[in-house]
Amino acid sequence: MNFKHKFVFLFPGLFVLIGILIFPIIFTIRLSLSGWNSYTPEMNFIGITNYIRLFTDDPRFWESFFRLSFLSVTTVILQYVIGFALALMVWREIKFKRFFRVIFLIPMMTTPVIMTVIWRTFFHESLGPVNDLLGNLGVKPILWLSDPVIAKFTVIIVEVWQWTPFMFLLLLAGLLSLPKEPFLAAAIDGASPFRKFVYVTFPLMAPISIGAIIIRLIEASKIMDTVFVLTSGGPGTATETSSFYIYIKGLREFQMGYAATLSFTYLVIMIISLTIIAKVLTKLMIKE
Amino acid sequence: MAKIDLSNISHTYNPSDPNPTYALNPFSMTWENGKRYAILGPSGCGKTTMLNIVSGLVKPSKGKILFDENDVTNLITEERNIAQVFQFPVIYNTMTVYDNLAFPLKCRDFSKEKIEERVKSVSDTLRLSSFLNLPARKLTADQKQLISLGRGLVREDVAGVLMDEPLTVIDPDLKFRLRRNLKEINEQYKTTLVYVTHDQNEAMTFADNIIVMDQGEIVQVGLPKDLFERPKTTFVGYFIGSPAMNIFESEVSSDYSVKINNIEIKTNSNLSKIKEKNVKLGIRSEFINVAEKDGQNTIKASLKRVEDFGNFKLLTANMGDFVIKSKVNREMPISNGDINLYIPPEKCCVYINEKLI
Repeated sequence: MNFKHKFVFLFPGLFVLIGILIFPIIFTIRLSLSGWNSYTPEMNFIGITNYIRLFTDDPRFWESFFRLSFLSVTTVILQYVIGFALALMVWREIKFKRFFRVIFLIPMMTTPVIMTVIWRTFFHESLGPVNDLLGNLGVKPILWLSDPVIAKFTVIIVEVWQWTPFMFLLLLAGLLSLPKEPFLAAAIDGASPFRKFVYVTFPLMAPISIGAIIIRLIEASKIMDTVFVLTSGGPGTATETSSFYIYIKGLREFQMGYAATLSFTYLVIMIISLTIIAKVLTKLMIKE
Repeated sequence: MAKIDLSNISHTYNPSDPNPTYALNPFSMTWENGKRYAILGPSGCGKTTMLNIVSGLVKPSKGKILFDENDVTNLITEERNIAQVFQFPVIYNTMTVYDNLAFPLKCRDFSKEKIEERVKSVSDTLRLSSFLNLPARKLTADQKQLISLGRGLVREDVAGVLMDEPLTVIDPDLKFRLRRNLKEINEQYKTTLVYVTHDQNEAMTFADNIIVMDQGEIVQVGLPKDLFERPKTTFVGYFIGSPAMNIFESEVSSDYSVKINNIEIKTNSNLSKIKEKNVKLGIRSEFINVAEKDGQNTIKASLKRVEDFGNFKLLTANMGDFVIKSKVNREMPISNGDINLYIPPEKCCVYINEKLI
């Protein structure tokens, strides 16, 4: 058989892939080796100068990276726990099951930027309803957006609210696809609800949990819109994440070459760390 | 161990329907303590529903279940102290074999010593002792099925062990060994065992009593011998035995005989009170013999096929529209062309409206 013509059939797909994936990556790598900025907007070649700058003289990037790690891991863990709890709640036959399932999905269907604007209004320190309500209960106003520590948790609250439904959806689908027999067997063995969860539900849900957590980690590490609208990375750089920092360097300060360096480094770190996380999670959760 | 009484049980899966279809039609039955029962029937006949009603996974639409005269109808599975083994092995993947076997006892707060003693005893019987410290997931499918079974047996006071086609996933030669193993367990622990299957050989070799079901109805309960020799309905005749029972449309011709294709066949059944003319005559192929010459109760048929099964020969012959199958000794010389087949009167079963008289 002559297989040469198979490339003809592969070509359309390959062409799209080159256009939207391979070319941009190669272009970014080339750009990262240039000093393209608003003074010299040209593709010159300056070697690895940008990389040296990043690794020796830019603590702000690394701070934003560790901040991002903290934010994404915390939000995803919270989303997983809450999402799992909600999914367990509407998994079995309960009244108004369909109603609850739809209600729980609503935050995911809203537009993040608009919802964040609404959240920002909620958390407004002097005009927002949250502090007003707390004030009625005798609680002093909380600096939701201007305290460096609390602002991080405000971002976490909004992110968790917005994306828990996604986790809920994946985990509910997983629960609904589980075989019945292990649960029947556990009932026959006389297992309490707690034991059923620990020895039956959780182990059976491990593969789908890992999938859901990884998907959410990838998404969460791109967090940008919430930070942009809610705090603009502030106060100071207290809520600045990698993607937001890259955006500032590239699209506010127009240091295109350096922003490309940051982007590419970020991509490599993400690929490595997510691979490791996936491996570790598999080792911890799946016992096959 | 307990005596299990099913009293006027019936079940439908669509109770709100004004004319519900019943998965189980009303029936009553008693399972004696320490006996082995097999529930046999084609797929969808209600076997599993019956089992699930006993274990409490399904609540019957009507009727009562009694364990040793105690009404358990409204108790949930956890409170019934019954064990059930499913078609596919169910084990706790994250636990060792030991923990799997100990789990039902741990859930019931037994002492550590008692658990150890019971797990040891059961694992010895099931030949799982050498695997106790291995993770259960590392075992083969049949060993896993033994674990499922073992979880039922560790509870000494279990009312009964229900098995829903438990040997489906197991190799044929191992099946044979496990069935023997089950019998030993039954003799050792005096546990009531109920075994659901659609395989008649499995049922016949395993059980003291076989319950044959069809379309939600219990058609016959009896010893393997009764089911084989005196099937109560034509369905049982078809379903049990290989090949199925020979069944011929026939007419009553006198008090003790029927006519098939104008040949008079004497039977041992008294037909004097039968009003209908059309009946069915059933006879097992095992009981039909090849006769030297024509005579009483002998029919002449033309031989169509001879199949050698190794331990016997199966003859297929035609008499008019009727097909007759006969199992004969494989050494018996068979000549081609017409043969005479002798039908012993004592083995004939006569059916009216598919029911034995």
